[in-house]
Amino acid sequence: MIPKETVIEPAEQPKKQVTVSINGNPCRADEGENILTIADREKIPIPHLCFEPSLEPYGACRLCMVGLVRHGKTSMETACTLRAKEGLTILTDTPEIVKYRSVLFELYLAQTPKSTVIKEMAARYGVTKTRFLRRVDTDDPLGGSCVLCGLCVRVCNELMGAGAINFINRGPYTVVNTPYAEPSRDCLGCGACAAICPTHAVRIEDLDGERVLHSWSETKVPLARCEACGKYFAPAALEKSVLSRIEPPLRDDLAGLCPVCRAKKLAKKEILAATGGDLNHA
Amino acid sequence: MTGQKAFDRAAGGAAGMKKLFPGKPRIAVGLATCGIAVGGQRVYDRLKEIIGKTGAGICLTKTGCIGYCREEPLVNIAIPGQPLVILHRVTEEDAEGIVGAVRKGTVPHEKALCRVPSWDHMTGTVITYGTGFDEIPLYAEIPFFKHQKKVILRNAGFINPEDIEEYLAVGGYAAAEQALTRMDPESIISEVEKSGLRGRGGAGFPTGTKWRITKDAPGKEKYIICNADEGDPGAYMNRNEMESDPHMLIEGMIIGAYAMGAKEGLIYIRAEYPLAIKRLRLAIDQARSCGFLGKNIFAVDEGRACGLHGKNIFGTGFDFDIRIATGAGAFVCGESTALVASIEGRTGRPHPRPPRLTDPGGGLWGIPSDLNNVETWCNIPVIIRNGSGWYAKIGAEKNTGTKVFSLVGKVDRVGLVEVPLGTTLDTIVFDIGNGGGGGKKVKAVQTGGPSGGCIPVRLFDTPVNYESLNEVGSIMGSGGIVVMDEDTDMVDIARYFINFATGESCGKCVPCREGLRHTLILLNRIMAGKGSAKDLETLALLADTIKNTSLCGLGQSAPNPVLTTLAYFREEYDALVKP
Repeated sequence: MIPKETVIEPAEQPKKQVTVSINGNPCRADEGENILTIADREKIPIPHLCFEPSLEPYGACRLCMVGLVRHGKTSMETACTLRAKEGLTILTDTPEIVKYRSVLFELYLAQTPKSTVIKEMAARYGVTKTRFLRRVDTDDPLGGSCVLCGLCVRVCNELMGAGAINFINRGPYTVVNTPYAEPSRDCLGCGACAAICPTHAVRIEDLDGERVLHSWSETKVPLARCEACGKYFAPAALEKSVLSRIEPPLRDDLAGLCPVCRAKKLAKKEILAATGGDLNHA
Repeated sequence: MTGQKAFDRAAGGAAGMKKLFPGKPRIAVGLATCGIAVGGQRVYDRLKEIIGKTGAGICLTKTGCIGYCREEPLVNIAIPGQPLVILHRVTEEDAEGIVGAVRKGTVPHEKALCRVPSWDHMTGTVITYGTGFDEIPLYAEIPFFKHQKKVILRNAGFINPEDIEEYLAVGGYAAAEQALTRMDPESIISEVEKSGLRGRGGAGFPTGTKWRITKDAPGKEKYIICNADEGDPGAYMNRNEMESDPHMLIEGMIIGAYAMGAKEGLIYIRAEYPLAIKRLRLAIDQARSCGFLGKNIFAVDEGRACGLHGKNIFGTGFDFDIRIATGAGAFVCGESTALVASIEGRTGRPHPRPPRLTDPGGGLWGIPSDLNNVETWCNIPVIIRNGSGWYAKIGAEKNTGTKVFSLVGKVDRVGLVEVPLGTTLDTIVFDIGNGGGGGKKVKAVQTGGPSGGCIPVRLFDTPVNYESLNEVGSIMGSGGIVVMDEDTDMVDIARYFINFATGESCGKCVPCREGLRHTLILLNRIMAGKGSAKDLETLALLADTIKNTSLCGLGQSAPNPVLTTLAYFREEYDALVKP
């Protein structure tokens, strides 16, 4: 069996420039670039919830549906998975797109009745009410705001390599949490899940030398204390993981210090080196 | 194995023929899952006990299922020189009478369904059983059988599926030998293309084209995968194909592997099919021991070619082996990208295509892979053996060959039905199925399982082919045909399928996960008499949205039961809602 890593990627070449048309506006882009990124750059609004440039397109939120015009016919594609090619013609607001997008927004409003992000986003596209039964879950650790876009899961697994959280159950019973809804031992406490969450649903709090991930089964991660100033500054496991990727001379300079003290130490070192040992040179 | 003594296919076939014609009466009990479920195993055990006790010169064996589910358990009796007689609705109590009659050189006529004087196994082998028993109807006179054409199920119910020699006796592995020793990959793919065979999983993509794309995909390694994750409610074609004739599938995969240059094949099968898994494992072991799977398969020995699974098949320097991967029975894992995720040990959730399985990076472990349904693979040996010209004459234009359907629900004659594509629903439901059970009027059929739609009886002149079924809002699917009669509540049917699809949705994309949930809530409200005309509008809009915006085939097709019942049985919805 051959692991995925050994698949040979074609060598990096300068990207060919192409022109795609979005709502009649010609847009220059790299060939193969996804349409959502191009539209963002050109300030053409396309709503989306599950896209993040540092991750592979996921195609789950379905909000970025656009019309792709080919041979006089318009088909619907998700802009995040649609790649730029010379002459591609895209429409973002056909009556069909508006119709389906509005129903999707109604579904989101029913799924996450508490989320102001969703309310505001839907309102920007003219949807303020939902015909569907609102979900009520008073025990939801994500506060009724999770849209299951999977960004937290993907960032935890694919970027941080921690694998602390994942999807549980399937279909309408899908939730995100730690295995068996028990405090995670794999969580680094990095907080990338909270940072990336489009609806700010993940609740994290730093308390008494611990980072508490309320949304993830109250997982507690010890925080490292700065050796210089004594403040808690980062989860200990995360610090260890980051330091392990840095080469020794710099690593020794950074270890155990909070960002402020670290900057002070490095600045001091630079000045000393530049002035031959006189801190009051200036 | 390399250096092993090559297996002699002709000798194996001759040994198999001795088992089919042991020189004494042969009783074979239909023991596929369906037969066992209605007491076939008890009949077998009782027969064994009686034959053992009386020491009668009778050979007892098991066979697969001929497909007439309503009449099971089925028992075949072959008395030398006489036609094969199929007994139906056999119970343990009948066992004594059967053995007694057979010892006297006859059969219990009151239990006889039909007689088969000779049988064409479609691979160049026509078996002649004999003449006599003229008072028993001929196989071809039985209404359930007479409109059928058995190509895929040619061996089902005739040979012992647990014995490779019986498969060899009816022309088995001759096509693989021919392909590996006398054809090159290009000419095999060209034959499959010319045959017009289309994917039997439901989408109807041309198989030859898929094979060519896989063969031409970059990279030396390829995988071939068999999709045996049959999950539609009421569909069990693939189960019977694997249980009744597992070697046919293996032979098809060997030919495909050689054509596409794959060294390894996987059968992704749902764990709910334990008997199929058992028989496939046994068949794979037998094929390995014959040198049909493994290294240097079908090794040539003194001019005779004949190994089958394993390495260097048919002495061609070609290595190929098959592994079985069992799934945990998720409907969505029939979707290609979710299926691959499941084999790799990840959660069975689809991802957007491209990359397709045949693309580099898109297949199993990132290697270009060809995925075909069980029945698609099963078509291959007969295409190679009889030629694409022969095959293309069966069925209709652009819809060649036969298709096995499971005809179930409120139909009189329940069973597995194999007909040429292009046969009308009328023929299937009325001529073969004899209309509604208990004399009730048929109202509609559901084709394609939860992804298909309900077709009303007034459209039963629709020929069953990929395009015509799409035109009436349904799909071919893998081959389930569920019949509904006048008592069936069509709104409830829609609710049943939506309930199924909601539970089987993987939960990744919003229209499928949330949309189906709300479809179900709406249908429940309507069924409870609390719905309004406005709810019907919302229901239609929601179904339309799910169909057009879902990520994968499950979501895109899941609203079909709602859309078709709304289109054809609107009055049943209207009767339930307040104006």
